[in-house]
Amino acid sequence: MNLVRAELERLSARRFVQLMVVLLLAAFAVTAATTLAGSHRPTADEMSRAQAQAAEQRSSMEAAHDRCLRIKAGTLAPDVNDYVPGDCSEIDPVRMERVPVAADFLSGVFTFANQARPLLYFLVAFLMLFGFLVGASYIGADLNSGGVVNLLLWRPRRWAVLGAKLGTLLGGLLVLSAAASAAYLAVFWLIGQTAGLPGRLDGEFWRSLGGTYGRGLVLVLLAAALGFAIATLGRHTSAALGTVAAYLVVWELGARLVLQIVGAARPDQWMLSSYVGAWLTGEARFWDSRACLGDTSGFCDNMYTLSWAPGLAVLLGLTVALVVAAFAAFRRRDLI
Amino acid sequence: MSAVIEIDGLRKTFHTLRHGRRVAVDGFDLLVEAGQVHGFLGPNGSGKTTTLRALLGLVRADGGRMSVLGARSPERLPEVSGRVGAIVESPQFFGNFTARRTLRLLAVAGGVPTSRVDEVLEQVGLSDRGDERVKGYSLGMKQRLAVASALLKSPELLILDEPANGLDPAGIREMRDLMRSLSAAGVTVLLSSHILAEIQLICDHVTIISRGRRVAAGRVDEVLAGFDQHEWQVRVAEPERAAELLRTLGLAVTAHPDHLVVAGVEEPELISRTLGEEGLWVRELVPLRPDLESVFLELTGTMPHPVVPRQVDGSVRPDAGPDDVVIDLDARENREVGA
Repeated sequence: MNLVRAELERLSARRFVQLMVVLLLAAFAVTAATTLAGSHRPTADEMSRAQAQAAEQRSSMEAAHDRCLRIKAGTLAPDVNDYVPGDCSEIDPVRMERVPVAADFLSGVFTFANQARPLLYFLVAFLMLFGFLVGASYIGADLNSGGVVNLLLWRPRRWAVLGAKLGTLLGGLLVLSAAASAAYLAVFWLIGQTAGLPGRLDGEFWRSLGGTYGRGLVLVLLAAALGFAIATLGRHTSAALGTVAAYLVVWELGARLVLQIVGAARPDQWMLSSYVGAWLTGEARFWDSRACLGDTSGFCDNMYTLSWAPGLAVLLGLTVALVVAAFAAFRRRDLI
Repeated sequence: MSAVIEIDGLRKTFHTLRHGRRVAVDGFDLLVEAGQVHGFLGPNGSGKTTTLRALLGLVRADGGRMSVLGARSPERLPEVSGRVGAIVESPQFFGNFTARRTLRLLAVAGGVPTSRVDEVLEQVGLSDRGDERVKGYSLGMKQRLAVASALLKSPELLILDEPANGLDPAGIREMRDLMRSLSAAGVTVLLSSHILAEIQLICDHVTIISRGRRVAAGRVDEVLAGFDQHEWQVRVAEPERAAELLRTLGLAVTAHPDHLVVAGVEEPELISRTLGEEGLWVRELVPLRPDLESVFLELTGTMPHPVVPRQVDGSVRPDAGPDDVVIDLDARENREVGA
């Protein structure tokens, strides 16, 4: 416990951590200020016009669905403008995840229900970067400067020292990320209430947003643990940065290109970014050039889905493997 | 006296892709007993720091046995780490922290009362500068802070690697006084240093390492006595005649431009009486005692050559044979390590 207390103080006193927190607050402030400046509360006239447009859009969607059913039933001849999918339920407004609402037709009005998720994605991306960099530099700088040696002279238990560092990092990051995300969403909710529109904030919305929030926090922790583990293995902060840069350029860009050129099936399933997307959004759909080979049903969109479960399994598996390797290497390493 | 540090047959080889295999410590032995101020000497790259790091669990030994305060190292080191204060080479501290905060964090991490912080800052002469950031410290001040961190635990055993590194003459004197006062208070000190005169002044025992092996160990005065050739510097009016007379007694005499050096003389009266009886009056009769520096240079083969620059790995490597230890005045028979 004493070790964790000392580590927490060291972590919070690091200049890099303080700089990243300032950047986080700055990004937070700029986003909120520009949103506030670019939004206004809609007038009654704007509102009624938008509602009318939304209603018109919805009725035209219902009409298209209706026409589809009648064309399928043979009671109506299709014309050139008709979109007739294999299954009419595909364009059934009732089955759609989201139908047009008045907010979609309001210009210069911030609608919290529409914007909360993209805003949260931005914050999660920032916090992932924050976690990775802080995780890598926290141990990397200490290994390089002799800080770890100093600590081991006091507590000659390597796993306890490294574990206290990782635990403090993840604990501190979790508290900071959870608080920052909650504050961030609260500010935009307030902007929606006072200078825009709250939108449709029903139970389903909050459940879904809460899920994204939780999954985002998990991603932030995984990124931090990855940075920490790679820097421990490489004995330097730059080892983590170099590994990620190399992975992005060589694999995510280079290998993706090669896989596409050779016509490999489902190249996205070999990319970590696909699993990050699948985990964060709940599921991600990707193009598969061979998915429709031999399909005779007439309804095949060449897409396949990665759900959150394999996303979590891959990301967690990779992180755990690297953290275990880092602890094993640190236990045997000569600290010279 | 009880053994505080025992190292028996320590071996460590480093393997790197670029430089291949390098033997750092090759069957090294060390014995430090309670209450000693023990100097640990060796040329650069001789294995001093590797030995200390292995003893403190920072480097994995390939072979040999080590114990600290009776606990096997590194396996049982955590059991006694609270009683051991150590600095290895020049420790780095977090530059943005003040000395006081640095020590307080170490105290918190080690479960030491934070009231000790002010005491050790006072002890190492940093109490007035304790609230300044470490990054503004000179090398000597950082060294003082390092020693303060080692003292924080009120250790029974203090292991200091080059504590005088970067200190000014006054700082070196203060460090010497500090070591003496700690020793007087019952603290056992193992001190690695290149400043041989300091070691001779501070330490009562010494171990010398060269190319990873022990070449001498024991009480400082006894180690020096082992190299005493009982030489005397003689100034006399007729040096040629004086040399002739002394040689007739079977003494080895070396003539220098303004003096003679006579070796193998236990009692100086022999010289003064022999010359006086022949009417040669001695103007100066000075014993030539070996100092630690000359012994060190001789044992390690690092005597500077006026033409050939000495290489780091050019020191003497003692043979590996069990009987080939050059001097071992204090080794104990059948000692048990890590009991």
